[in-house]
Amino acid sequence: MRAQAGAGGLTEGSPYGIPSRKLGMWLFITADAATFGAILFAYGYLRLANPNWTHPFAFSPTIVNGIVMTVVLLTSSLTMVAAVATAQSGRTSAGVRWLGVTMLLGTVFAALHLREWFAMIAAGWRLFQNPMGGSPLFGATFFGITGLHLLHVVCGVIVIGVITLGFRRGRFDAGHVETTALYWHFVDLVWMFVFPLVYLMNVR
Amino acid sequence: MTAIAPRRGPTMHLYVVVWIGLILIVGLEVFLTYERLPAATLLACLLGLALIEAALGVMYFMHLKYERPALFWSLIPYLLFALVLMDHFWPDALRLMRQRMPGP
Repeated sequence: MRAQAGAGGLTEGSPYGIPSRKLGMWLFITADAATFGAILFAYGYLRLANPNWTHPFAFSPTIVNGIVMTVVLLTSSLTMVAAVATAQSGRTSAGVRWLGVTMLLGTVFAALHLREWFAMIAAGWRLFQNPMGGSPLFGATFFGITGLHLLHVVCGVIVIGVITLGFRRGRFDAGHVETTALYWHFVDLVWMFVFPLVYLMNVR
Repeated sequence: MTAIAPRRGPTMHLYVVVWIGLILIVGLEVFLTYERLPAATLLACLLGLALIEAALGVMYFMHLKYERPALFWSLIPYLLFALVLMDHFWPDALRLMRQRMPGP
């Protein structure tokens, strides 16, 4: 490894060729992926061990709502890569606009998700209550998994907002935008597993 | 400070192609769901498609394809190994199902 002279003495180059904050985000993402993996495995375990598992989701409105949520989240990933590309090319105002669109799409996703939650709660679903008479664990796993993902989305929207403000004022650079984008894409990827396993596997 | 030169990433055109591919895979997942396949077959199909989506997202949107290979080999195999280890719980779930008492 090549040693380079810096202001504070000798420092070594990154073995991965990326800044420390980006490596830190990758490490966080792998740890969080293992967490979501464990939760999804636990869901599968409970589902397999309960023969009277409920299949409550109709095509309309739940699956249609889920498809719209998925498209919104995938589109927010596209706008996020546009934000990174424009930020890296030095076009600050365009980068801020794309970050704003990403925040808007994240907020739409969260609003659609909450609307679905409230509809289910109004129908009698609770963490340990199943109005359809099947396993009460359905509510616990559904609200637990989707709630943890929703928490990630809400945190992501807040972080993107903070980064956007700092980027516009010159306190943050394109590297900060790219590191935030890694987190946002990860949240998107988790949904790529939650939607088929929690929604599509439970259609009527 | 160590200067790290930015690496060349994909173009916006490629991002849009990946985005369209991801949406098509979601459409395929919904289509397969309503084909009324056996549960195990459907689960295998959906998991396989979700893994393809994750790979596309990680490699292109998250730029892992364009980073040094050392980053990929330091992160992904160990994550997959940890997830595969979780597979060891399935036999216990099946044991629980067989031990379930019949309802009144």
